[in-house]
Amino acid sequence: MNQLLQVGVIGDYDPNLRFHIATNEALLNAAEALSVSVDTSWIPTESLASGLIGKTVKQFDALWCAPGSPYKSMDGALRAIQFAREQGWPFIGT
Amino acid sequence: MLGIRDAEHEETAPDAPTLFISKLVCSLVGKIQTIKIVPGSHAYQAYGRKEVTEQFFCNYGLNPAFRNKIGKEQLKITGVDLDGEVRIVELSDHRFYVATLFLPQIFSRPGSPHPLIIAYLKAALVFQTSRRDSGIKM
Repeated sequence: MNQLLQVGVIGDYDPNLRFHIATNEALLNAAEALSVSVDTSWIPTESLASGLIGKTVKQFDALWCAPGSPYKSMDGALRAIQFAREQGWPFIGT
Repeated sequence: MLGIRDAEHEETAPDAPTLFISKLVCSLVGKIQTIKIVPGSHAYQAYGRKEVTEQFFCNYGLNPAFRNKIGKEQLKITGVDLDGEVRIVELSDHRFYVATLFLPQIFSRPGSPHPLIIAYLKAALVFQTSRRDSGIKM
């Protein structure tokens, strides 16, 4: 079986936003090229705005900060970005 | 980071005193630009080229007033447009931490994935394996 990657996308998913759909598809395209599987989960920014976020984000193998500002919670987005920076999680912001 | 504690974004806090992210002089929505990549960076490893073409959909970017704050510490400018405006930054002491003003995902297609996203997932694979091997709980 292919290695499965769990990617957490920091952002407030909107199925009408072309960039959000493109984010999911780009991950699938890259995973296919690498012969791995990817499971993409969107993490609403408001869910990251308070409390300990480690439990929410540690399950992922990488974090991606999605386009589409303003976020519902800028603080939530920044806390997840800070986690990736300080804890060494692979991160891309686009 | 960078010691700027009150950094703000002009879109959400237009009256704040420290606008680290400010409105671009001209909008980049829909624009395609040539970007010069700094050799030795994660971006360069991913692209394998010194010049790439990418598409933007944003109205905000790094406030030029803060340009000289970046690059001295671990946060490095690794991609600029032909006018020298910042388009990619990354952390030099991190396994993979890259931020772009453009949207690489837009140019990805089945069978033609984007090199930055390939590099990102490769880093995720290595990270997953190292975490598993070191027994860190998920």
